[in-house]
Amino acid sequence: MPELPTDKKDREFELIDRILSGYHEGFYELIAPYERRVFMTAYDILQVEADAEEVAQEAFLKAFRSLRSFRREAQFSTWLLRITVNEARMRLRKRREVSLDSVFANHEEAEYTPILLADWREIPAEAVLREETRRLLRECIAALPENYREIITLRDLNGLKNAETAEILGLSLGNAKVRLLRARVMLRDFFVERFHKKTRHRLSRKVTP
Amino acid sequence: MKFDCKHIWRELSNYLDGEIPPNVRRDVEAHVAQCRHCAALLDSTHNIIVLIADERRLELPAGFSARLRERLEKELATSRPD
Repeated sequence: MPELPTDKKDREFELIDRILSGYHEGFYELIAPYERRVFMTAYDILQVEADAEEVAQEAFLKAFRSLRSFRREAQFSTWLLRITVNEARMRLRKRREVSLDSVFANHEEAEYTPILLADWREIPAEAVLREETRRLLRECIAALPENYREIITLRDLNGLKNAETAEILGLSLGNAKVRLLRARVMLRDFFVERFHKKTRHRLSRKVTP
Repeated sequence: MKFDCKHIWRELSNYLDGEIPPNVRRDVEAHVAQCRHCAALLDSTHNIIVLIADERRLELPAGFSARLRERLEKELATSRPD
C-alpha cells in the first residue's frame, strides 16, 4: 500500500487516540478504507470466500481488541494486514492437521532451474487479455505453497512494497526478496506448464477429425 | 564480471522490481541480449507479474460491511481495547 501522506497518517493516529479514549464508534471509520484489502488478502490465502469473510471479521475484531498495542512506527494498514495474515494462517492450520510448511521448508535453499520447454515461447502478450488466461493464473496461484502464495498476495496482488511485505510476514528484507523470487518463478513455471498443456491440447483437438 | 544464466535467475526478481545496482542491471541486460532463454524467462515472468497486478479482483461479497458491523457492534459496545 502506498505510504499515506503525513497529514492523513496523523489523522489516522488521532482517530486511534480518540478510539482508545472511548470513542469506539470511530473504529468503523478507521477500518473503512481497508475492508476490501483485508478481505482480499484473506481470500487469496484461503481461496474460499466464506472462510475469508470470517477471517476478515476475526482480524478486525482482534485489531480492535489489541489496538492499544499498535506501535506507531508502522502504518496502521501494515499492522492490520499482519493480523489478517496471521488469522488466515491459523485458519489454514485448522483446516488441515498436518502443516505443509515442513514439506516446503527446503524450497528456498534449493537452486532454481527454470522449466525450459522444447517448444519454448514466451507467454504471448495477447494471452494476458483472455478470461481463460486469468482463470489459469488463479489456479496457479491457488496451487502455490502457502508461504509463496502469501508473498505473491501481498507484493504482487496488493502491490505492497518489499519492505512492507517483509514487515507483515516477519521476514528480513533479504529473505523476503529471496522468497519473492522463488514464488514468482514457481508461479511462472506453473503457468507456463499449464498454458502450454492447454495450447497443445487445443492444437491436437484441431488436427484430430 | 561475466554473467551466466544462473546469475540471471538469481537477479530476476530484483531486476523486474528495479531494485538492482546499475552495474548489475547492465550485466543482466548484456546477457539477456544474447541469450534467448533468459530473455524469454525475463519476459514471461514480467508478463505474469503484470497479469497478477492487473487481475480483476472479485468484489466484496454482498452485505460484507453490514455483517462486519453487526459482528463488531457487540464488541465495541461491551469491551475496551487493550
